[in-house]
Amino acid sequence: MKKHFLGLCAALALAGASGAEADTIKVGIVAPFSGPFAIYGKQFKEGLEVFVKDYGTKAGAHDVEFVYKDSTGPNPDVSKQVTQELLIKDGVKYLGGYVFTPNALAVAPLITQSQTPTVIFNAATSVITKKSPFFVRTSFTLPQNSGPMADWAIANGIKTVVTAVTDYGPGVDAEKTFIKEFEAKGGKIVDKIRMPIKTTDFAPFMQRIKSDAPNALFVFIPAGPTAFSFTKSYSDNGLKAAGIQFLGTGDVDDETTLQALGDAAIGIKTAYPYSAAHKSALNDKLIAELAALHPDSKANFATVDAYDGAYVLYKMIAAAGTDGDAAIKAAKGLKWESARGPVSIDANNRSITENIYIREVAKNAKGELENKEIFTFKDVPDLGQAK
Amino acid sequence: MSLIPRDRRLRDLAILLGMALVLTAAFYAFPDNLAFATRVIIMMIFVLSLDFVLGVAGVSTLGHSALFGAGAYAAGLCAAHGWNEPLLGVVAGAAAAAFVALLSGLFLMRTRGLTLLMLTIAVTEVLGELANKFSDITGGADGLDIVMGPILGVFKFDFRGQVGYVYAACMLLLVFAFLRILIASPFGLAARGIKESPARMRAIGAPVYWRLVAIYTLGGALAGIAGALSAQSTSLVSPAVFDFQLSANALIMLILGGAGRLYGALFGTLVFMSVHEVAASVDPFNWLFIIGALLLAVVYVAPAGLLSLPDLVKRQLRFSR
Repeated sequence: MKKHFLGLCAALALAGASGAEADTIKVGIVAPFSGPFAIYGKQFKEGLEVFVKDYGTKAGAHDVEFVYKDSTGPNPDVSKQVTQELLIKDGVKYLGGYVFTPNALAVAPLITQSQTPTVIFNAATSVITKKSPFFVRTSFTLPQNSGPMADWAIANGIKTVVTAVTDYGPGVDAEKTFIKEFEAKGGKIVDKIRMPIKTTDFAPFMQRIKSDAPNALFVFIPAGPTAFSFTKSYSDNGLKAAGIQFLGTGDVDDETTLQALGDAAIGIKTAYPYSAAHKSALNDKLIAELAALHPDSKANFATVDAYDGAYVLYKMIAAAGTDGDAAIKAAKGLKWESARGPVSIDANNRSITENIYIREVAKNAKGELENKEIFTFKDVPDLGQAK
Repeated sequence: MSLIPRDRRLRDLAILLGMALVLTAAFYAFPDNLAFATRVIIMMIFVLSLDFVLGVAGVSTLGHSALFGAGAYAAGLCAAHGWNEPLLGVVAGAAAAAFVALLSGLFLMRTRGLTLLMLTIAVTEVLGELANKFSDITGGADGLDIVMGPILGVFKFDFRGQVGYVYAACMLLLVFAFLRILIASPFGLAARGIKESPARMRAIGAPVYWRLVAIYTLGGALAGIAGALSAQSTSLVSPAVFDFQLSANALIMLILGGAGRLYGALFGTLVFMSVHEVAASVDPFNWLFIIGALLLAVVYVAPAGLLSLPDLVKRQLRFSR
């Protein structure tokens, strides 16, 4: 009996490898579509819709069909279960999505075993792509953003900084990379603050930062309501008036929350791979198409991560059909022009290499807030895997 | 075993056999959904343990995920440090969760009602924060990924989740049998007595506080088993195991099925998770509405849970006659 199903598994794996011609290849998208993180799923879906409008439903000789599955929130059990079902029941040959690191890590053994190329649209911990040779990432990693921010601070005469990060894995990573880079170039860290995840009242931290009186503040807070209230309390508590600059990663002011921050946000500087205000024909086109499909939606990093993720998926499908190994080979070193600028997939760690922009919040011609790009670090790789 | 009357023992055996049959049937009926079925079974074990603590003994808790999480991390850490035999992990998970339940129970069982509710939540939050803070040991928010060895060195976890399913199903049968025996024992009677009236139990000389601590510890061990199984089948432990939502969901499943009856725990879990699964795959974007409607309907029509429906219908028929 046992032999029997081992054989069955092998047969399935083979069926995956051989593939038939003129077929439909299914791509499973695992992301939160319900609950507090549903915004990610929504942005991904819109990004994919815009992509399909641009490139059609055919990749090479194959038809492509997206199958969506809800992973709720940071919930590795559900993530693994729905992925397993996608692979076994729906017979998907490619996967995409994955917002949270644990959700991506939980499927690593599955995709390695089934040799399913998986494009991560968000999960930003460096280590993920090491856990399976079938992971490719089109978002960014935390060190990729916070390293350049430190370089920019030094280059612009900022000598003392207080770091304030959310006290969990990604926050600690951002803090460490920033401090390492900043101190290596002669900057001084006056104070390190780690704020509990569930903090909503930031006034005490602001008082502490104010009395530290640094040139600038470096912040990492995951995108969402807490980032919003942090930014608000930065100006409410007079830090802006005291001349303490606000530096951070783009998570604090992504395009879906930016307008709500109000004028208090003007002058905030963040490092990120994508701004909706990026000046390029491709970006204009993407924004116009999104507006045509979903007039109320705003393009942000998640939209573009999914769009570029789909680009990589299509390239892999066109090149390799259902052969997972060949698909990953096709993705390695892939170079193209994205709405965020020139990007490529690093052949060694399969994470994206991209420009990191330093952006300043400013008012545009329409009187809306935007992340205006003021400096570009060209072709930044995933700095986290260099160490 | 001699505590249980002979006919009851036979009935229990028949019930267990029936359950085993249903579990086997499910294995063949849904070969593509074994990952989901395994999650349901693990959740059943968790809700059974909550049923024992809350439904049988009347300890109101919203912090049962503290014990689930303790079990998950114990099993995860075992596997991460080389002891990746799953049964060993389950034992470690049960022991760790029992220990946490005992420690916190010594303190918690002195309180009742709302105070108890708040404190159980607090314990969960503290443990969750510890898992987050000590990221060198626990992997923090990224989670602790583990590689499980074969069960008893023979049965390897397979891609389709067949071994995982059988493994979890056996655990469920064991836990269920254990609880049936326990609840029928004098200890179980004492637990029910405490739920009915702690004052009267004290009056007849029962050491209510120590009984409660023992109940909580036992319930904790069972929740720990569920946690360990969950860690092993996902091959990853993250701080999500200490999520308040987990405790709340378990409570909803229990209430849905009918608290205080073991079948209620099984049935409520099955219905809640199946509806959740079907709704979420039919419409991954708006399924929460369906779950909400289901809960409203059940609470309105059958406040004592789905298992009370037959009685309810019978009573209605008698009235209308």
